[in-house]
Amino acid sequence: MTRADRVLMAIVLCSLPLLYLHFWTPGAADYSDSAGGVTQGADAGTATVLRIQSAGTAANTTPLAPDRQIQVPGPMGESTIEIRAGQARFLESPCPGKVCVHSGWLSEAGQLAACLPNRISIQLLGSRPRFDAINF
Amino acid sequence: MPSFDLLLRHPLLRTLTLALACLLAACNRADDPVYHDQFFAFGTLIDLTFFDVDTALAEQASRALEQAFMQMHNDWHAWQPGALQQVNAGLAGQGQASVDPAMAALIQEANRLSVLSNGLFNPVIGRLVAIWGFHHDEPPQGPPPARDRIRQLLEQAPASTDIRVDGGHISSRNPAVRYDLGAFAKGYAIDRGIERLKALGITHAIINAGGDLRAIGRHGQRPWRIGIRDPRQPGVLASIEPAGDESVFTSGDYERFYEYEGRRYHHIIDPRSGYPAGAAVSATVIHPVAATADAAATALFVAGPDAWPAIARQMGVKYAMLVDREGRIHMNPAMKTRLTFESEPDTIVMSETL
Repeated sequence: MTRADRVLMAIVLCSLPLLYLHFWTPGAADYSDSAGGVTQGADAGTATVLRIQSAGTAANTTPLAPDRQIQVPGPMGESTIEIRAGQARFLESPCPGKVCVHSGWLSEAGQLAACLPNRISIQLLGSRPRFDAINF
Repeated sequence: MPSFDLLLRHPLLRTLTLALACLLAACNRADDPVYHDQFFAFGTLIDLTFFDVDTALAEQASRALEQAFMQMHNDWHAWQPGALQQVNAGLAGQGQASVDPAMAALIQEANRLSVLSNGLFNPVIGRLVAIWGFHHDEPPQGPPPARDRIRQLLEQAPASTDIRVDGGHISSRNPAVRYDLGAFAKGYAIDRGIERLKALGITHAIINAGGDLRAIGRHGQRPWRIGIRDPRQPGVLASIEPAGDESVFTSGDYERFYEYEGRRYHHIIDPRSGYPAGAAVSATVIHPVAATADAAATALFVAGPDAWPAIARQMGVKYAMLVDREGRIHMNPAMKTRLTFESEPDTIVMSETL
């Protein structure tokens, strides 16, 4: 091995952690650690963020930890979104039929639920979702 | 001075260089290749997913689809004023109406699929669906309609074979026919949407209308992956990878329903009995054409665990799965090869080859 080899090797090896730091974005591992009830690993397609869209406004994404409730305004009033143990659901909504509340918990990246009367939709997203869409 | 050549000649350096290159390639995604957008139409959420599409084009396509879906939603609505309601009014009054080419094509395709389904998918039982209370955006509270009222409507036997479409003219020999394309219009609209995307040069996309979808192309190096939701518990039952251009549709008793005095009444009405079809919990169909998948999912749901293979064969369905009330899974052998179950089901009732 020549001196040039060693210099090159040193440069390549040093740049690896730098590249890692530069390009790494917080993914499934970060949130599933703090979400308590979630035991799936980062590779299992665990949802990491919740996308909340209220008609006429830009979509918001929010992490799935810590456990909390979020009020989202819509044309009929405020809908309450509950986040618990890495899952999310419509807890309450001012709509008459409560279809959104009956949709239950979303647990899988890609799953979504919507309150049509109040024009609000929520969808779980993951850094590496297992599914591109859910059929039901 | 080390030459670049050295990087490729030295075994250890070559490995390291390759590793570095791979890392850079994997991480250096300035833009996420997946584009998402959503809008409301057909009483549900339409979810668009494009892969590797220039952002400006994706936004243009998304706006075009939203406009097109709104138009189709208004034109083909089962109970709100629009072009289809004018057709219904004409058929109810003079037994005839004039239709534009788009409406004629829609109605003819619905009628064709209805015949192939032995009338289990019946697009002209709008009055029956209405007395069950499903002509509202919100599910009704009940009670279910009176037995006599249902019998009365059944005796009039509205069928797609009562209808004649002749160019821009539609006529009916049965005054009881009323179009309700609830089991069909969404699929037909998805097909029109996919045509629009292809015309815009978009070749990798999913249009998902409230859980029923058509997927074209791929997600980069891998196929699209679709999870099929378990009809009775949270989570996914199985997954499927659409091959190039396929639709995945499910009809389920959990989609729109109400409970009255402890009984569940859902929106999929059996045209033979006039009551919600009772033997299946869900029926899933894979077919290239979304409109066919839509009508077939309804027809197989109504047909139930015994009769579904015959209907599937007539409708040209090659892949189907049905979950019955006991939770047993029925499917054809080819469907088994397409599905990856989350956990292997206890019993699979395998049909003959379709």
